[in-house]
Formats: sequence, structure tokens, C-alpha cells
Amino acid sequence: MALSGSETPAFDSENLRELKQKVVDGCHILDREGITDGFGHVSIRVPGTEAFITIAGVSPGCATLKRLVMLDLDGQYLGGQNAPPYEWPIHACIFKARPDVMSVCHTHSRWSSLFSVLRGGLPPIHMYAKFLPPKGPPIYPAAGLIGTVERGEALARTLQDSAAVLLRAHGDAVIGASLEQAILRTLQLAFLGELAHMAVAHGEPLYLSQEELGTFAADRSFPARPWEYYLSRIRERHSA
Amino acid sequence: MTGNRKDVPKIDSSELKELTEKLITACHILDHEGVTDGYGHISVRVPGADAFVTIANVSPGCVTRDRLIMQDLDGNYLDGAKTPPNEWPIHSCILKARPEIVSVAHTHSKWSTIFSVLPIKLKPMHHYGKFLSADGPPVYQGVGLVRTVERGTELAAALGKAPAVLMRAHGDAVVGESVEQVIERTTRLAMLGEWNHLALLHGEPKYLSAEELKVYNEDQRFPMRGWEYYVSRLGERQ
Repeated sequence: MALSGSETPAFDSENLRELKQKVVDGCHILDREGITDGFGHVSIRVPGTEAFITIAGVSPGCATLKRLVMLDLDGQYLGGQNAPPYEWPIHACIFKARPDVMSVCHTHSRWSSLFSVLRGGLPPIHMYAKFLPPKGPPIYPAAGLIGTVERGEALARTLQDSAAVLLRAHGDAVIGASLEQAILRTLQLAFLGELAHMAVAHGEPLYLSQEELGTFAADRSFPARPWEYYLSRIRERHSA
Repeated sequence: MTGNRKDVPKIDSSELKELTEKLITACHILDHEGVTDGYGHISVRVPGADAFVTIANVSPGCVTRDRLIMQDLDGNYLDGAKTPPNEWPIHSCILKARPEIVSVAHTHSKWSTIFSVLPIKLKPMHHYGKFLSADGPPVYQGVGLVRTVERGTELAAALGKAPAVLMRAHGDAVVGESVEQVIERTTRLAMLGEWNHLALLHGEPKYLSAEELKVYNEDQRFPMRGWEYYVSRLGERQ
């Protein structure tokens, strides 16, 4: 279904501009909302190709259109600033394993980091969890940054068909059918973590059952709304 | 590293310009990131000399070029503003005991302070703690500000070869081979403290073992990434 690498548009071509701006906006949103610190990255698949664009050795909060890199799914350099993130296999291996995925976010979110080392996991405590498996996201247990294809493949296996995976003592990887969706899910995962943390301090909360999650999932959703909202919050920063 | 260099440069010399500017930026970062309050200080060793530059009795968030002081490792005044920080022996005694160390930060970080008085240790539960040992930083038990060489020597002994020491009911001292590394370690120690605190409310978390820390330490490092990020956040403030 994906086109061959030779049909990938040139990195500087005009038709990649919108995708690149989305990566930069997504990074700035995660930073603005307090999810990322100096580390983490966001990627977007170039539609119909075996290529993706992510940030090039820079903090999400400092990302610019000039500090992006395009790689193929084997990590080969295709254009942009030639400084791929050390953990590029997170993106490449998930894109390879999951043709439905158009965007991947990797963060060291404190809430994902927290639940990655707790023994009870992160069961659904709010309807935002409707994108997650009923028992919460799976946890990738191994130590070490995802700097090799071998580790990237192991991570993709742990993710399986889930929308998010926690990385033990490390953070999370969240996927979406669009970049907007991956960003929104990353923010919602953090919200769920914070909420579950607060609730558990009071005793065992009343979690949502699989059926109840299904009921919420059947309702209409308005994915464009939060994207517009979060964009407005980074514009505020830029004009300040 | 530590040297017998006789021609110690002046504090406002062009040789020290980059280093002293970095020191000021580092102080502003710890302030901006909420680690320091009105107190705390960072020092940097004068290359090749038995001397260091730190901030002269001023809050890290308020430090400027004309409020830096240079002292030798016995605390003698060498140059700059006249008033040394009360706890200059933290710097001089650690720089004396650890010739490989270039920079020392002392803060009253709330997260270091809380784990300095708890029976449970601050241990690496995230790879940000990979600079620590699996059982976390040692704790200096002494009471009183470290304003004598005797106390400074005890503190350096408690630190041993570690990258950081918690100071009971007081804060921390963090060391590094560059100013950037000290900032990375100090901010990460605070994050780890916060995350340990959150985790322990749920029961004992799954910590990283010594072997797992070793795996993380074999990965490549990006010492300037966080520095660039924190500097960019200062720009916002100004």
C-alpha cells in the first residue's frame, strides 16, 4: 500500500510544508502544555510513502522548520538537517508495524513515567481513556533508550494494536491516525495519569468498565476542537 | 586538573568571560526552573588554578556580572565582589577533594530536602537518574550551615565519589565536570525527587537496578540539548 521510497517528495518541496509546520506546532504544543522537557519528539508519516519527518536533535520546545529531518523506515537519511533523533527506531519501527499510524509522539511525560513504574498500571478513570485498552496501556519493560531497530521492534510488539505504550522508567509512545490525534492522545494520557494519581491517593477509584468505555466511544467526537484550542495557546506565546 | 597555575586570571578577564557568563546563565536557569529560591549558589573552577568563581551573597535569580566573587580553595578572597557566600566551604572543600570536578551547585530544592529527612531513599525510577547509583545519593547528616572548612570537609566525605549529596533538612550539593552537566543533574535530581514522591504515594515503585542503569549509561548522551532548552526558556522570561 505504501509507495516506494523513490516517489518520496524532496524534503524542500512545497507539498511537505504543511506536514512540517504540523510537526513544529505539535512539538510546541507538547512543550507549552508541560508534557516535554528538553527531550522527546513528534513524527509524521509522509502520506503514501515509506518516509517520515521528525525533529533533528533539538528539544520539542525549540523545534523550527529548519531543524527537521526526513528518514525512511530503515532510518536512512532522506533530507533536512542530518541529525536524526537517537531514538528514531521508535518512529520507524512503529510506522513499519502499523500502516494505520500516521504520527507518533515520544515523551518523558511525568505521568507516563510514574505509571510506568507502578504495579497497578493505569486503568481508565475518565472517558478520555476511550482510546486506550480497557486495562490501560501496555508497558514496555526493558531498560535502555530505543536506539536500535531491535529495541524499536520490541517496543512495537509491546504496543501491538494499542494507541499508546508506556516505557518503563522512561515515558511513553503515543500514536494516531493523524498528528493532531497523536498530540491530543498524548495530552489526554497525561491528564489520565494525573487524575488517576490524585484519585488513588483517596483509595480505589471507580474505574470505567470495558462496556462503559464502549458507550463513551460510541458518542460523537470533535477532534478539530482541541487542536484549535491548543494552537491558540502556542500562538499566544509567540505573540507575547 | 587542579593546578599550581600562578597567573590566576582576573574575574573580568577575557579568558573567563565565557565561563562567568555561563555561571550567571546557570544560576538563572535554576531559578527559572523553580529549584532555587532566595538561596543557593553555583561555582565554577578557574581552569588550571586552585581557585573558583561563585556568586557573592546574592540570590541565584538576581545574580549579575558585578556580583561574582573569586576565591582560592582555602576561601581567601582573590577578586570580584567582596562578600563570599556564607557557605563557600561547600565549593572549596568539594573542589579540593574532587580534582575532576569543574562545577558545584548547592540548592535548597524542595525535592532534595524532602528525601533528606525521609527514612526512604530517593532512588532512580527513571533513566534521568542514571547518573546516580541504584541506591540513590548519600545523605549528609550534619546540622548547621556549611560555613566552616571542618563542615565542608565532612560534606565532601559524605559525597565521596558520588555525583550528588543530599543535606539533611537543608538541600543538596551536586557536582559535575561542566556547568552544563551540573545544571542537567540538579534539574533531574529535582524531577526524580518529585516523581519518587508521586510514586511512593502508591506503594513501592519498580526502581531501576544497577544493571539496568548500566544499560542506560551505555546509550549516547546529549549534554547540550537540555541546556539549549533551558536557555530558551530564560529568553521567554526576559
